[in-house]
Amino acid sequence: MKGSLSPRTPGVLALAGAGLIAALATGRPELALIAAPFLVFGGAGLVLAREPQVTAAVEPQRLRLLEGEGLTCAVRVRNDGPEPVEVEVAPVRTRNLAVAPAGTVSVRVGARSETEIEFSLRPRRWGAHGIGPVAVRARDVLGVTTWEGRRGGRLDLRAFPREDRLRELVAPLRTQPFLGTHVARARADGIEFADIRPFQVGDQVRQVNWRATARRGSLQVNQRHPEHSSDVVLLIDTFEEARDQASGTLDSAVRTAASLARAHLGRRDRVGVVDFGGTLHWLEPAFGTTQLYRIVDALLSSDIAFSYAWRNVDSLPQRVLPPGALILAITPLLDERSIALVSQLRMRGCDLSVVEVSPLDHVSPGPTAADGVAYQLWELQREALRARLRSLGIAVAVWEPGGALGPGLEEVNAFRRSAQPALRA
Amino acid sequence: MTLLAEIVLIVFAGIAVATCVALLPAPLPLRRRIPVAPGSPRPHQLVALERLVTTAGPSAVSVHAYLRPLLTQIVSHRLAARGQTLERMPEAVGREVLGDRLWDIVRPGRPFPEDRHAPGVQPQELGAMLEAIRRL
Repeated sequence: MKGSLSPRTPGVLALAGAGLIAALATGRPELALIAAPFLVFGGAGLVLAREPQVTAAVEPQRLRLLEGEGLTCAVRVRNDGPEPVEVEVAPVRTRNLAVAPAGTVSVRVGARSETEIEFSLRPRRWGAHGIGPVAVRARDVLGVTTWEGRRGGRLDLRAFPREDRLRELVAPLRTQPFLGTHVARARADGIEFADIRPFQVGDQVRQVNWRATARRGSLQVNQRHPEHSSDVVLLIDTFEEARDQASGTLDSAVRTAASLARAHLGRRDRVGVVDFGGTLHWLEPAFGTTQLYRIVDALLSSDIAFSYAWRNVDSLPQRVLPPGALILAITPLLDERSIALVSQLRMRGCDLSVVEVSPLDHVSPGPTAADGVAYQLWELQREALRARLRSLGIAVAVWEPGGALGPGLEEVNAFRRSAQPALRA
Repeated sequence: MTLLAEIVLIVFAGIAVATCVALLPAPLPLRRRIPVAPGSPRPHQLVALERLVTTAGPSAVSVHAYLRPLLTQIVSHRLAARGQTLERMPEAVGREVLGDRLWDIVRPGRPFPEDRHAPGVQPQELGAMLEAIRRL
């Protein structure tokens, strides 16, 4: 710890010096008598000052929680020295972490003992929030000298995004040959009735449709659609975002991605994530709860990275986009590179839908009349852009932050149902 | 000086010293640096359009080169929803549907302005055009 004089100490010593000089100048010993206690106090403090042996550690209840959720975090302060010390502890202060009490907390720690201070933490936004090391300031008994330093290590509090419960998901056009919940186009063992065909060698008796057999005079069997899983790739656009003081489109995009990942994994789909922006990150599709935690951890590190580098579909590794995968692009449609990417993916025959996180709520028109006209022009330009994407066969759902995602996904499914023949071509 | 005066002087001196002690600076609170909140840059799309609206006012060239393609794209999309296209729209119908000023800008085959220094489209005028587009 770094030692220094208390802010009062120079003042005390200055008073003592002034008294002594005044006593010498006036020849009156009474003034020296007044100054003497200050001199003794300051001198004794400096002579007796010893660096306190204070340690502190941050002990949160847990390191994973949901954004907006409260958490109690204890700061354990230990004094290993022979003298009691006054200790001030400053809590962590980060932009997206609300701390109560917010100011400095003072506590007296006895000799060779420890005490605990509790703080309440509440992450305002998803992400990894560093808590620690703790800023500690200790004073000697007389308060003449102070020592400041940082104690304890850094812990990362991981605040997971809040997720919406989704009843309906985007139905994939193609499925994978794994057991799942999507009705496949193929015909095999399953529940959904598909068709009737004549009996062939190898067919099981329980597949025989006796009514059709009686009508046609020959054995007929039922064909069914199997339930398969699908591959889903969540493509998050991190080139640019629209942000106001409270939140931004990236916040909403990550929440949407987490909701979609959970819902699709719950339906036994393989889910992967691509963070497409100034820096490129990806997570290959996989099944299960472990993948959900991997995805959420990957989403927490999503951030806008400014870059001039042009990226297109060739920048993506092939194994990230398995053949037949459903690609859900979550984007504010603000950057030409991401708009070009979704167009290229569709032109290559990918099964693609776009969830547009609307930036309009985060941006207000400028102060002048011309800015207001530009804002109207921007709205119309975005509308035309959506129309252009739809003309390519890309379903676009506009999602207003704060609203439910379900209706948007229903809109996507309605578009895909009407455009299905063209999409499968 | 009498004893009484000396006592009064010492008492006043004591009070002055006590006042000085009370006025001594208190320890500053412990400070942790808070990361600076990022600014809220406006989207590039919107900034570009604000610049376009501003430059389209005094410049017919800016209107032809930059504003016209954008308006054409927007109008085409709106007309497509009505089963119409700009290319096949008769001039009389175009003027009736879009208004004279907007039709003059987005009509197919519009020539490059002869007078490069001619005035362009003022924001108020452009706002009226956008209203006409919204009504389509």
